[in-house]
Amino acid sequence: MRETKAVLLCRIEDLADGAARGVSVDGLACKVIVVRRGERVHAYLDSCPHYRPGTPMAWRTDAYLNGDGTRLACHSHGAQFDIETGECVIGPCLGRSLTRVPLRITGEGGVEAAIDVNREEIA
Amino acid sequence: MNIIGPDYLVFGVDDIAACSEYLTAYGLTPVGVDEKGGLFEALDGTGIVVRGKNDPDLPPPLPTATLLRQQVYGVRAAADIEAIATELGRDRKVHKLADGTIETTDDLGFALKFQVTRRRELDMPAEKINAPGAPAQRRPNELGVFDDMPARPRSLSHNVLFVPDLDAAVKFYCDRLGFVVTDELTGAGPFLRPKANDDHHTLFFIRTPDYMKGIEHLAFHMGGPTELMVAGTRFVEAGYESFWGPGRHKFGSNWFWYFNSPLGTHFEYDADMDKHDDEWVARSAALNAENSQMFLFRLRDKWMPGPGPESAE
Repeated sequence: MRETKAVLLCRIEDLADGAARGVSVDGLACKVIVVRRGERVHAYLDSCPHYRPGTPMAWRTDAYLNGDGTRLACHSHGAQFDIETGECVIGPCLGRSLTRVPLRITGEGGVEAAIDVNREEIA
Repeated sequence: MNIIGPDYLVFGVDDIAACSEYLTAYGLTPVGVDEKGGLFEALDGTGIVVRGKNDPDLPPPLPTATLLRQQVYGVRAAADIEAIATELGRDRKVHKLADGTIETTDDLGFALKFQVTRRRELDMPAEKINAPGAPAQRRPNELGVFDDMPARPRSLSHNVLFVPDLDAAVKFYCDRLGFVVTDELTGAGPFLRPKANDDHHTLFFIRTPDYMKGIEHLAFHMGGPTELMVAGTRFVEAGYESFWGPGRHKFGSNWFWYFNSPLGTHFEYDADMDKHDDEWVARSAALNAENSQMFLFRLRDKWMPGPGPESAE
């Protein structure tokens, strides 16, 4: 049976509207990207689907967006992803999507991810 | 056609400030850069030109994610530009600019410019090492590393293109511009060097679908493997994202370390590449991880084995 634990990624007030950040999570080989649009927050694995098993996407710590801040971007080859859906709209991984991380916003404004505790990623 | 190699690679970007920060942190020097962009140069004057993506002076963009807008090749003399203009003018438009340079397009749609090279001749020692059985390269009391040692990119080394039609790419650069194939990774493509450069490669192609056409990476030569390690370590410590390396390639023998960038392409530090002449017979090997590198490492946080056992915090 799938057993998940809730991991606090950040607090919504710490994430400016339109901003993104990468959060390290115990048990995950890559970071989790958290991106805020208004009151909506999305999270995806920091793992570009261009190559298996995925490669990190920022060009500098927390720099995950394209130049005008409208899309998530992989700064390997400039692939761009729709923030709402995670789908690649231009770039080498056209037709593929980022892996969404399910989120829950707690009553206190915490952004929590549900991480599968029985699947530790070691590489 | 004495083509030496790329003098500049020109990009059209949507965040000039971010690119300026990145290129400076990578180790290039801004020259006359303002809010419209400009040149970021290595020690020999080769470098990266950044402009806004809607800058009217740029050649049109490719219909892909790539931000590369032009490859500017340096040649030895004005006569070489004339020879290239004559050769390429047979089947395409070639424009001559007031400064004596020419602009045209290759058979895949990549914009090209040719100029009498602007690169300055460098007079700097390579990394010096000491080994038993050989004369010491460093004098007594001359140190191999020190905290603030310089580690700056010396020269634009090579660029790698994603191309949908490998045969057309090789034919154009070899048959029309005199490049030579030095080695080939089958399944990806060939390494090419131009006639007036003995580096193993200044150009490499990777076969991809049409929608990926663009630049895969570019590289600058460092003074040796230690400079490469120092520059890469400092870059990571400053928050920049390592993509692949450090390691050492087999074909070309060059040390490598690749980083993500806001220019939609990887920036590589390379060092100690093989040199070749026309006697060299190209090798061929399958494209796979084993053939791509002699060894590969990943940076970890600095650590040391102390006297131990460590006390619990």
